Formats: sequence, structure tokens, C-alpha cells
Amino acid sequence: MQQRSGSYDYYLILATVAVLFAFSSLCIYAMFAFKLAQVQNLAPSLKFAYMERMNRLAAPLVMALITILGICIPKRLLPTHRLNRFAALLLATAAGVGLLAGARGALLLILCASLILQLIVLGLAMAGSERVHFERSGYWLRLGSTLMHLGLILFVLDLFFFRLPTLHLALFWTTTVATVLGMTFCFYAQPLATMLRRKPPETPWSE
Amino acid sequence: MEAIADHLAFFVASGRILLHLLAVVAVCSALWGSANLCRREPLLPRLAAPLLRVALALFLCGFVLICRFHYQIHQLLPIELPPQLTGWLNDMLTRANRTSAYGLPLYDPAAPPRYALPLWIENGKYYFWFLCYTAMALIAHQRLNNHRFRAALHLLLAVQVAILFVAADPFNQPLPRFFAEVTPWFQPAQNPMQRLGLFMQLYPRMVFYYNAHYMWFHPPLLFLSYAAITITFATSCLMLARRDLFIESLGYDFAKLGFLLLTLGMLLGYPWALQAWGPNWWWDPKICSSIMLWAVFSTYLHARLYANKPHMWYFSSFLGILCFAAMIFTLLASFFFPGEHTMQ
Repeated sequence: MQQRSGSYDYYLILATVAVLFAFSSLCIYAMFAFKLAQVQNLAPSLKFAYMERMNRLAAPLVMALITILGICIPKRLLPTHRLNRFAALLLATAAGVGLLAGARGALLLILCASLILQLIVLGLAMAGSERVHFERSGYWLRLGSTLMHLGLILFVLDLFFFRLPTLHLALFWTTTVATVLGMTFCFYAQPLATMLRRKPPETPWSE
Repeated sequence: MEAIADHLAFFVASGRILLHLLAVVAVCSALWGSANLCRREPLLPRLAAPLLRVALALFLCGFVLICRFHYQIHQLLPIELPPQLTGWLNDMLTRANRTSAYGLPLYDPAAPPRYALPLWIENGKYYFWFLCYTAMALIAHQRLNNHRFRAALHLLLAVQVAILFVAADPFNQPLPRFFAEVTPWFQPAQNPMQRLGLFMQLYPRMVFYYNAHYMWFHPPLLFLSYAAITITFATSCLMLARRDLFIESLGYDFAKLGFLLLTLGMLLGYPWALQAWGPNWWWDPKICSSIMLWAVFSTYLHARLYANKPHMWYFSSFLGILCFAAMIFTLLASFFFPGEHTMQ
């Protein structure tokens, strides 16, 4: 069971790497497209059309990233066979919503599902529960990893709502605090554990 | 402008001396680095740390000079309007602020607007980045006793000082863009309406760019992360040649620091961009290249989790080098791609 879960993690990370690589390639394409079309000199309506076109190209990749995250989060709560069912259900529901309400609706659904699950994981990680499965052990490492992934979900939500200034600012600062705290806890778990006398994490990996 | 002329002359003269001293240290570093990179046994190992310490001390002296010069600009170059224009200007600003999400502060004749120039604009940004690198290189040097790694650190330092000396000297003709912008303001014999027109060119740029609070967080965090990525680059190159856990571990420590600073720096640029440029900055080439750098860096850290699997060691080393290449690409993007960050 542990072995299968470990390999699930590995393949999810490979999938994340592949999506990030595709996103990087799109960014490079966008740079050259911007320069060749001289977008900075275009009329505002044409500039807006260019941004919309790039948003449409980026949407599947953002959705793929959030979907991987959407699968990655419940893996901390569910055994592998249930996780597969959950992933299939999530994708099917997102596809259905996508057909009815468009890509934005599907993305919003996945984001909301991921946010709720991640908040549950955060609660369990904060309580130090052993019911959540992580690739590595250690209180601060688990808490940090949870906060970092929560930050990513909130950031994409923030992009969704940037036209609503109050919500945008609240989401933005929550994202920033969650991400920075998450990275600090995750990257500096050992010194934190020593400082606060919690159980130290395992070494990241060994030969 | 005459008020600052003497200070400018002192800044240029003392900066030139400092940069020449730095060049001498860089030549020694280059020689020491080249010799030790090729040898199996270390050559003159006791020379390495003092060279880095002297370079850091010289960088810090130069940084103090830059701080002093910027403080003098703050004190001596206020943007003062003739009294008869202030009421009219404030009426205009009040009306404009009603329709704008982020308005300009009203003009206060008792405290005219002054430039609080950040220390990392124009060529000062390279200076700050290389200063951070030198400090981090000294820390890395003390943490790992490996003469080839130390040689790589010295060679990178020499390259950076050469860039400063040849192409990005912050002391010779300091802040050329800033002075090109403000010099017309200090020309004599302008009529009040000309002054008002010029004021409305200078004032928004002062508020949203030079004096923006984000300017004190967004760029320095990015330059600190660039310095950490440069150290990770050195370790990744060595990891491709030889599998050494200590080098890898040190590179990973700097990568973690770099990623934390890069993420925070990029995040803090986001509300500032909305404030200064409105919503139409998304898909700007520099933003794209920064997101690409972040994605490559994130890929490196994800791949690093499985560095004990076959071939992942080399793959993560390759990604460490790719991060550095992406960082250089991001930096050069400002020169070759148009957009809000452009230097074309």
C-alpha cells in the first residue's frame, strides 16, 4: 500500500513537471508573439484580444495543474483505490460543468473542491493527525507543504477575482502569507523543529 | 542641478577608485579560480577566503557611497512648484483622483515632493545583485571545503566584476535615465505653464515608480534570489561532473532560499503592477519570462525530491543549470523584448 502510494506521488510529480514545462514553453511563445505583433503599440481593443487569446491557450495548462493538485490533495486523505475513483469523479464533473458553463466554470469547480479539501488537510496537519499521508514525515514539513499548495490554489483564485479590489487584496495577502509561511516551514523544517522541540523530519532522501 | 554637482563629482571619483580596486581583486580571483579548477590538489588555499572578504568589503563601501548619493538627491532635489500654481494643481488632482482607483497625493507646498530613489535602479541593480552574490559566495565558501567548488565561485565573481567594469558601472555617469528625466525641471527661465506640464510628467513617475513602497521589496528580493541561483548553478555544474552529496546539499540549500525569495518577490510585484499599470500588464514579455523562470525552478525542486532514483541526479543537475539559463534569459528579456519592463 505504502509502495503504491509512493509511486503515485512519483507519477504525480512527473505530471507536474510536464505541465510546468509546457507552461514554460507557452511563456516563451508568448514573449515572441508579443514582440512580433508589437502588442504594446496596438489599440486597447486589439491588445485585449491578444490577452484573451493567450488566456485561452493557458487555460488548459492551468486546469491541468489545478487538476493534478486536485488529485494530489486527497491522496493525503484517501487510500489509492478510492483516490482513483475520486479523481475520475472530479474530472467527469469538471468536464460536465465545462460543457454547461464553459472552461472558467470547470476551473472554478476544481479550485473550490481543491480549496475545501486542502483546508481539511490543513486542519488535520495542524492537529498533527497521522491520518494524512505525506511523502515525508515531520510536523513542520507537512504543515509547510499544505500551506504552500493552499497558496497556489488561492493565487489562481485571486487571478479569477482580480477585478474585485477588496476580494483581490484579501486573497492576495492570504496567498502571500500562506506561501511564504509554507515555504519557510517546508524548507527549514529541521531548524524549526529543533527550535520548537517538535519531532524532527526525516532526512529528505538518502543514498 | 548645481546643488548636487559637487556631490556627484565626489561620487564619481571615489566610485572609480573602488571599482578599480574591485577589478584588481577580480583578476586575482580569476587567476586563483582558473588554477584551482584544473588541479587535483588545491593551490594556495589560504588565499581564497581573504580574496572574497576583500571583494565583499569593497562592494559594501561602494554600496554605502550609493546610499549617501541617493540621500543627497533626496535632500537637494525637491520638485518645487511656484506658489501661484499649487491651488490650481490640487484642484486638478482632486478631480482626477475621483475617477481613478489609485490616485496621486495632493501637492503640499510646505513639504514639496522629493525623490526617495531605491538603491537598485539602473546600473545599481547589477551592483546590488553582485554584492549579494559575493556575500553568499563567502558563506558557501565557508560551508564547503572543496577547492574546485571554491574555484567556480571565484570565477563567477570575476565574471560579475568584469560585467560591472565594462558594461554596468554604477559610478561612471550615475543614474543616466533619472537625470535625463529631471534635468529639464532644473533648467532656468521656464514659464509657469511649462513647469506645470513638466511637473505632471515627473510626479506620477515619482509616485508610482521611484518612490513606490514596492520598489523597496520587489526588486531586491529578486536580486537576492538571482544571487542564490548563481550559487546553485555552480553546484549543479560540479554535480554533473561528479556525484558529491555535500555539493548537492549545499546547492539545494541555496535553491530553497532562492525559490523562497523569488516567489515572494514576484508576488509582491503583482499588486504593484495593478496599481501602476492597471489590469493590462498580464502576458507582458518580462512577466512571461519570470513565470517561466519560476516554473523551471519549481520543476527543479520537484525533481530534486527524487534525486535518488536512477538518472534523476543528472536530470536535477541539468535543471539547476537550466534555472540559471532561464534567469539570464529573464534578465536579457528586458533589453530585447518590448513591454512594461523594457529597457529598449
